[in-house]
Amino acid sequence: MLDFVMRPLASAGRGTVKTLGSVGRAWVLFAGAAGALRHPGIWGPQLVPQLARIGVASVPIALFIATFTGIVMSLQASYTLTGTIPLYFVGTLVGKTMMLELGPVLTGLTLAGRVGANISAELGTMRVTEQVDALETLAYDPLAYLVVPRVIAGIVMFPIVVLLAMTVGIVSGWFTALQLLDMSSPEFVKGLRLLFEPWDVWFAIIKSVSFGAVVTGVGCFYGLQTERGAEGVGRSATQTVVIASMIILCLDAFWAATLL
Amino acid sequence: MDFKDGGIMDRRREIMVGLVVVLGIAVGVVGTIWLQDGWGRDRVSLRAASTSVGQLMEGASVKFRGVAVGRVESVAVVPSGEAVLIDMSVRPDLIIPSDAAVLIAPESMFGDWQAEIIRRGDYDTHPYLEYPGEGVLPGVALPDFSRLTATADEIAQNLTTISERFEVAFTEETAQNLGRAIDNLGEVSDQFSEIIDQQAERFDALAERVDASTQELGAAARAARVSFERVDAIVADGQVQKLFADAGTGVENLRRLTENMDASLTDLQTAARQADATFARLDALLVALQDEDGSLGRLLADPALAEGALEAVAQMRDLLSDIQQNPRRYLSFSIF
Repeated sequence: MLDFVMRPLASAGRGTVKTLGSVGRAWVLFAGAAGALRHPGIWGPQLVPQLARIGVASVPIALFIATFTGIVMSLQASYTLTGTIPLYFVGTLVGKTMMLELGPVLTGLTLAGRVGANISAELGTMRVTEQVDALETLAYDPLAYLVVPRVIAGIVMFPIVVLLAMTVGIVSGWFTALQLLDMSSPEFVKGLRLLFEPWDVWFAIIKSVSFGAVVTGVGCFYGLQTERGAEGVGRSATQTVVIASMIILCLDAFWAATLL
Repeated sequence: MDFKDGGIMDRRREIMVGLVVVLGIAVGVVGTIWLQDGWGRDRVSLRAASTSVGQLMEGASVKFRGVAVGRVESVAVVPSGEAVLIDMSVRPDLIIPSDAAVLIAPESMFGDWQAEIIRRGDYDTHPYLEYPGEGVLPGVALPDFSRLTATADEIAQNLTTISERFEVAFTEETAQNLGRAIDNLGEVSDQFSEIIDQQAERFDALAERVDASTQELGAAARAARVSFERVDAIVADGQVQKLFADAGTGVENLRRLTENMDASLTDLQTAARQADATFARLDALLVALQDEDGSLGRLLADPALAEGALEAVAQMRDLLSDIQQNPRRYLSFSIF
């Protein structure tokens, strides 16, 4: 009876300690990475390759997802608005949704899988094969060499990828409206401009910056925390995707509550 | 892991990164400007004042004659709180009317509002706010849908009250009275219809007469027109002046005739008096004759004398005849 009661409590306590320990280690990591910014000679040469891997290489998948998101948005908007609301609101709905929500969030979730898992697996493999220890032996700061360029690349390239994805999504929705919904370009543009605010773009950029930092930061954290060989690498990659996606959705709600 | 990348790879990677970054930033900037409808257009500022702006927000459309010509840049309450100033940017080639005003109204039924530049004379019944300041257009905001809904709700409540009162007043007796009133109304309607039919016949006859009279009047008018045309021709030919001149001459002659007649009348009066005297004498003579007074009287009274006179006359006639036939027997004429 006593064990029946104490075991869940012990489990809860362990989970809490583990979570707090992870949060603490994460803060230590990020604080160390912030301190490592003072070594641009170390992370500078790695920045362009990371920009290319995290940003440029992610553009195709982001645009692919945005294209079909725009098409589906346009079709579903016309299905929803038929008969009661003027069809030019398809443009409004596609534009607003792509800028405020689907552009940043879908791109963030997609890159959480692609970039976050990639970083976690790469750094996890380096950890389990003791390459990180070798860096320390060679007097390279692992945070400056591994973490800083990735996080900076994520912060810089996520907004760029999101802007491109938003544009492609809106254009694909526009094209769908013209071809499948019997709408004219002036109608779609009228709806697109109807409720547009420049702040919508800034909102998307702010969100995507935070998503870039989270995805790369979580990937680096779980990658550097990897233990127990190949199994640990896979687990780290999985944890990275799950945690990064959860944080992205939480941040999405947070920014919506605080900025809109 | 590569600690050092090759130079060519680095170069390609840098180009790709730079291309994507520039492209992303360009897309964001160009798209934002394009969606703001502010691409490469010069704008001029307009300011309007109103007591309220409804749901008008920054970025709303500014229209003129239904055409979008700009957008609302800002909406702000003046410090005193008595007005709302609306700053707008419009196309520079827009020529607004001299009596321009701004009508703030819903653009559609979905909550978006617009500021429309209008001629105040076209909507003069609205309570425009005249706010002091150079170039500040008077403005007025129409009630939004919520106010209209509230008004409609109030009307509905009033109708409900009326219907309730109607239900109270409309009893069975009222219904019966109303039925009777409707029946009476039907009878009155029938009678009225009969009267109308009768009056219609009279009106037909009257109309025929009026038609005949009209035709006669028309003929008279035509004749009068002919006469007037003649008169007009006469007037035009100057015959009237001649007629008047002749008439003047006639009057003069008449006046002279009158004078002559007056003189003749005087002579006639004199002659009458003389005749009267003559008749008096004749009367006296006849009296004398009747009284066988004088030679003639005795002659008339004595047959022998009368016969002698006749014989003397016959002899006288014979003598005259002989003288005419043989004048040298009785007359001898010589110069020397």
